[in-house]
Amino acid sequence: MAAEKQNPYKAVSAAPVKSFFVHMLTRDIRLEDAILDLLDNCVDGILRAKRSKPSPRRETSPYAGFWAEIKFDKTSFSIADNCGGIPWSLHEYAFRMGRDPSRPPDALGTVGAYGVGMKRAIFKLGTQCVIETKNATDAYEVDIPQGWMEDETNWSFPALPTKKMKHEGTTLVVGSLHPGISDRFSVDAQDFQSKLERMVATHYAFIIHKGLKVSINGIAVRPRPTKLLFTRSTRKAAKKIKEIQPFLFRTKTADGVEVFLAVGFTQPIPSLDQVENEQTEKRYSSEDAGWTIVCNDRAVVYCDRTELTGWGEAGIPRYHTQFIAISGVVEFKGDASKLPTTTTKRDVDASSPLYLQVKNKMREGMRIFTDYTNKWKARADESRDHMKAGTLLTLEEVKVESAHLKFTPTTTSVPPGEQYKPQLPTPKKLDSRYRRISYVKTVEDVQKVAEHMFDEPDMDPSEVGEACFDAFLKEAR
Amino acid sequence: MKAPPYHLRPNKAVDRLTLIDAIKLVVAQTELGEYTYYGMGGPYLEDFRLMYELYPHMRMVCIEKDENVCKRQLFHLPCRSHRLRLEKMPLSSFLAKYEAKDEKSIFWLDYTKLRFSYLDEFMDLLGKVGANSLIKITLRCNPPDYQDTQPAEQTKKLERFKRTFETVLPTAFSALPVKLEDFALLIQNMVRIASQKALPSATPTMFLPIASFYYSDSSGIFTLTGIVCLRKEMSRFRELFKRWQFANLDWVAPKEINVPSLSTKERLHLQRHLPRRKNAGRRLLRSLGYLIDRDEATTEIQLQQYADFHRYFPYFIKAIP
Repeated sequence: MAAEKQNPYKAVSAAPVKSFFVHMLTRDIRLEDAILDLLDNCVDGILRAKRSKPSPRRETSPYAGFWAEIKFDKTSFSIADNCGGIPWSLHEYAFRMGRDPSRPPDALGTVGAYGVGMKRAIFKLGTQCVIETKNATDAYEVDIPQGWMEDETNWSFPALPTKKMKHEGTTLVVGSLHPGISDRFSVDAQDFQSKLERMVATHYAFIIHKGLKVSINGIAVRPRPTKLLFTRSTRKAAKKIKEIQPFLFRTKTADGVEVFLAVGFTQPIPSLDQVENEQTEKRYSSEDAGWTIVCNDRAVVYCDRTELTGWGEAGIPRYHTQFIAISGVVEFKGDASKLPTTTTKRDVDASSPLYLQVKNKMREGMRIFTDYTNKWKARADESRDHMKAGTLLTLEEVKVESAHLKFTPTTTSVPPGEQYKPQLPTPKKLDSRYRRISYVKTVEDVQKVAEHMFDEPDMDPSEVGEACFDAFLKEAR
Repeated sequence: MKAPPYHLRPNKAVDRLTLIDAIKLVVAQTELGEYTYYGMGGPYLEDFRLMYELYPHMRMVCIEKDENVCKRQLFHLPCRSHRLRLEKMPLSSFLAKYEAKDEKSIFWLDYTKLRFSYLDEFMDLLGKVGANSLIKITLRCNPPDYQDTQPAEQTKKLERFKRTFETVLPTAFSALPVKLEDFALLIQNMVRIASQKALPSATPTMFLPIASFYYSDSSGIFTLTGIVCLRKEMSRFRELFKRWQFANLDWVAPKEINVPSLSTKERLHLQRHLPRRKNAGRRLLRSLGYLIDRDEATTEIQLQQYADFHRYFPYFIKAIP
């Protein structure tokens, strides 16, 4: 028997190169989003604490009494919270790069599902970090020392007991900031802080509204939820008067995800002149129009106006300034792994079957308001009167008001649920006693007349035209 | 459009001369030929007249969209048109075709209102001009524009302001300031954020502020001058302006221009005591021996203003045309 030939080769290594792995992990996420990932961890901590200490108050204000403080300057970044800390039993999940499949399911309502957020954020910011955490049973400190990234053999972080933390929570301090990050926190500080504040105020509007206090460099962030015009109608049922209300849809899927959708107007529709002027002069620095998608109280998409949310597809027109008054919110609640969000938690999973089904309803609702806008765009002044009776309500307030509305089942639609379809006013033909006058004049001439009549050259041209007519009518009488 | 006469705008005249001072500090005489001055001129082309008197070799371009004002500008040309080009178009159209090609520019965006589109044009310009270019932006800064006695209307005005300027508003903005100096600081912070957006830290050039003022000839005005420079050259420019009395290199609160009404005789009398490093207001009051405003404290402030700006204070005197 021939001697067995010895294998001259050995197993080849497929272990990741640490710097490459970390670089890949951090390159595709924006700095602002990485910081929001850290805020997500605070929220997840609250939900874990809520599960262990349920109380009636926590049902209405689930985040009350909790806070998160973000601070940054040229040399360091920190986020401190009182959101329950990281139990030692979760350290494998909290500090490993990626989620261990053997880990038990999360508390209902958390947004983290992939186990990369905190680590990705740390390495996006810098190369050295200390995390102190305390909960009912554990108090420890995890240190990512300077130089850890260069050591290819070391994939662990040292952990030590700590007594520094006075409350249950976590404090994360990142030092040795990357030069670009340090510049964002110092050279561009005013712009960056303003942008981050706006993102927290919009993406965490629900959570802050429900009690979480967030501050950035000592300044409290106030929530900025999308508000829809809602006419509380008492006359409507009796007189069948058509009024401005949002389209609403709600359902619960077989695997327990609750969906609530509302789309409507946030402001009066713009006149044709306003739309035309916007093409030549940028009047607003941003447009709070479009769809916001909320997963477990956290906005994963804010004011989207693309095909992702149904604009420009299946009969819905592409977004245009004309539709600046239309906004919608879709809320998904349930097990994080069942929600239609992506790994970055900053986007919706466009291929999710649940999202695709809900998107049909988003388009159905949106069509009512694009149709209204098209019908009334030449008579925006009259349309403004419809809006006057409305009050701006947050999604939570709309839900409360919806208790008085008559929903109809949508058994033929997928997913089955129920919806409220508002009857919006439709333009009537002019009363035979009236005649419409419209004419076109140069911008300079309109401004001259506006300044002459109102001392304000930027008056709405339709008001200038009407005032001219009224002045002559007075003289003629 | 009716333009207020110059003798009723002494503060603006002072502000204009501080720009001339800033140019002197940045641009060496030998470099003047490399610069082009772009302005919005107004019917009398006053800034162009000044530029031509002081810097006759500098090329100049005036941008104006109003046909009638353009005709009036042609009438007021301070020099032959090969030196001063009139561009009849809106500033946005001009910026769309403007190419710096590394040429150095001095731009005065002299707006009379406060609109987001103006900050948008400012951001556009910062990204286009060559290094070592000077940019001056002037904006309306008039708190009464946003005040209303009706609380509901006041709230609407605040919401409209927030919606209009959202992306350039500083952190914690919650109310519109009532005082002119506070409103000026708010606008300065908005300009600062706009400049950081246009030239973020990752770009090789930056916008360094040089001076900022607020004043009111009839309505409130804010104005800020800065230089677009290479980040690595920032300290050189800081050094140039360090001793300039109006320097604002760190975005601190803008300085007020509020020159007092004084007769020529009074001014010639006061000028003998100037310049003074300290307590100029008190010293000038003592020399004058009477109040020029309601009380001693206000008079001292007024005379301090005169001391600060006396070199820039125009004389409006009767002349034979």
